[in-house]
Amino acid sequence: MKEKARKESQKRKSRLAKIFMSPAILIQFFFGWLPIGMAFAVCLFHYHVLKPEEYVGLANFQDLFADPLTFQVIKNTFIYTGMSLAIFLLPVIVSILLMEMNKSTIRIMMYLWFFPIASTASIVIWKWMYNTEYGLLNSILMSLGLPTLRWLNDPRLVIFCLILPGILMYGPSLIYLATIQSIPDELYEAAELEGAGFWSKVWHITLPRMRPVLAMMLLLSIIGSMSVFSQPWILTHGGPNNASMMVVMRIVNLAIYNMRYGKGTALAIILFAILMVIIIIQRKYFKEDIDR
Amino acid sequence: MPLISKVGRRKFRVKLVLLTIGAFLWIGVILRMIPLWWMFITSIKPAEEVYLIPPTLFPHRPTFAAYKIIITLSGYISSTGAYSAHPGWMTYPMYVYLKNSLIITFGTMILQIPITALAAYAISKLESPRWSRILFLFFIGTMMIPGQIALIPTYLLIQHFPFPTRSIPYIPFTKIKWPAFNLFNTYFAVIIPASFSAFYFLLFKGFFDTVPDSILNAARVDGASELSILRRIVMPISKPVFAAVSYFSFSAAWNSYMWPLMVLQREKLYPMSVQLARISRLLSGQTMDVRGRGGLTEDLTKMIELGWSWNGLMAMSIVESIPVFVMFIVFREYLMTGIKLRGFK
Repeated sequence: MKEKARKESQKRKSRLAKIFMSPAILIQFFFGWLPIGMAFAVCLFHYHVLKPEEYVGLANFQDLFADPLTFQVIKNTFIYTGMSLAIFLLPVIVSILLMEMNKSTIRIMMYLWFFPIASTASIVIWKWMYNTEYGLLNSILMSLGLPTLRWLNDPRLVIFCLILPGILMYGPSLIYLATIQSIPDELYEAAELEGAGFWSKVWHITLPRMRPVLAMMLLLSIIGSMSVFSQPWILTHGGPNNASMMVVMRIVNLAIYNMRYGKGTALAIILFAILMVIIIIQRKYFKEDIDR
Repeated sequence: MPLISKVGRRKFRVKLVLLTIGAFLWIGVILRMIPLWWMFITSIKPAEEVYLIPPTLFPHRPTFAAYKIIITLSGYISSTGAYSAHPGWMTYPMYVYLKNSLIITFGTMILQIPITALAAYAISKLESPRWSRILFLFFIGTMMIPGQIALIPTYLLIQHFPFPTRSIPYIPFTKIKWPAFNLFNTYFAVIIPASFSAFYFLLFKGFFDTVPDSILNAARVDGASELSILRRIVMPISKPVFAAVSYFSFSAAWNSYMWPLMVLQREKLYPMSVQLARISRLLSGQTMDVRGRGGLTEDLTKMIELGWSWNGLMAMSIVESIPVFVMFIVFREYLMTGIKLRGFK
């Protein structure tokens, strides 16, 4: 009898659950799974402007591999990702060091270090700073008596210039601070009794405790940098001479401005394959859970 | 808690270390403030002063002229005529772009947060274990797949929902096309694809899982309906996670650039982020945006004559950043307590 009532109530709950979930299921199907599945079909077609699309098999991929620009954009994207990983640890270090200050300093500094501004705005500010004639950076160099640089117009410097705006957008840093503050004090007290110093506390307690968050943030950061779009698009638009052209920019260029939907999607699938390999490696070697 | 123990803080060596840390942090703060200072002072410079060499670090004649211009000006910058078929550079006053940003951002939040939260609650607390496992994978599976792969199909899908093809297919055996909606060049093109988010779903579910079932069951025994349980019990205790998701959702939508650029191709619909980027391209003489259409230098000269160049752009950047900053202050306390990320478990 009781069993029956329980089943009855679960059935009622399930029905309600279906109602609650239905909008999410619809959206997730149409804008989540359908386009992903469709991508594997789109990449096999050639889209003509006036005629209907034509099945071309893997010709789009052949086309891409014959194009030196493809390798260039992939190389650029890897360089960009490597460089942006160099600043990945900066907010972590800052968060750890911030804890050493006294309470009121922490409050002020947290605002100063971590308050965010709109991301396009920060990119645009850097564009103005990099301006070769009237920009701040060159005028600083000039006043120090150093030769001025061509910043965004210099093919060797341009990718380095692209990662600097990221320093102004510190959105996720609050997550680090919150994680550090949630580490129980007893752990540190116990370590102190055993004579642990600053570095061994950071190395043996803080960093392992932050590990799940760090692993996830690292993954998100790699995915984000591999698919970077707005910084190069706004700052250089791919120039000079494609030195800062990234994979996603190339996809957008191909698809939106040249109507090469098939070729663009084929490039997207190559990016997808590269990212999947990175994700699998990362999840295999960077275990998230410290207790496991 | 501070890691350097309280006891030894008087020692010289420890003091030196603390001093170094403090110096490092303050220098970092100063370096971080420089671009923001540069943005601010540029925005209060008059037009002639913007193009001075070397640039002035403290404006000689501070003025709010740039703000006044971006608020009032409209419909003049276009060498081909302001109301011609070609898009101008700043055809509308700034509030139009600001309004677009607000509609897109709050439209996204209003749809995304309830839809995602309800789905997470249903999976976490209502659904039977077998179904909830399957649907959980259905919901978060897309997060494991980088979104760029869906870029072009979604772009096609927007143009005739629900068909992710270039043209609308025919109903079999007839010459009639299936009914389809064109969402291209509407706010919905930005809002609807974002109205479910796997990442926020995971945050919500992680939180709802920590709510003990016994509380909900106690309420059920007392005869509360599921809806009132949701409203009276679950909502109040989930404030931190709602706050965190609201903040993330707000900043993601407010900062979105690529997708609005792709699917909103009329100047009247541009959000602030897109408009800012366009103007910055005009000011630095990058012509990619106006292929096959000359007159860039003329446009630029006209703008500078009106007293409006980088100072106007910087003023717009400040206006764009204010909501982000306000949201940060509003949600900061909640954020600190609300986000304990658990990773993907």
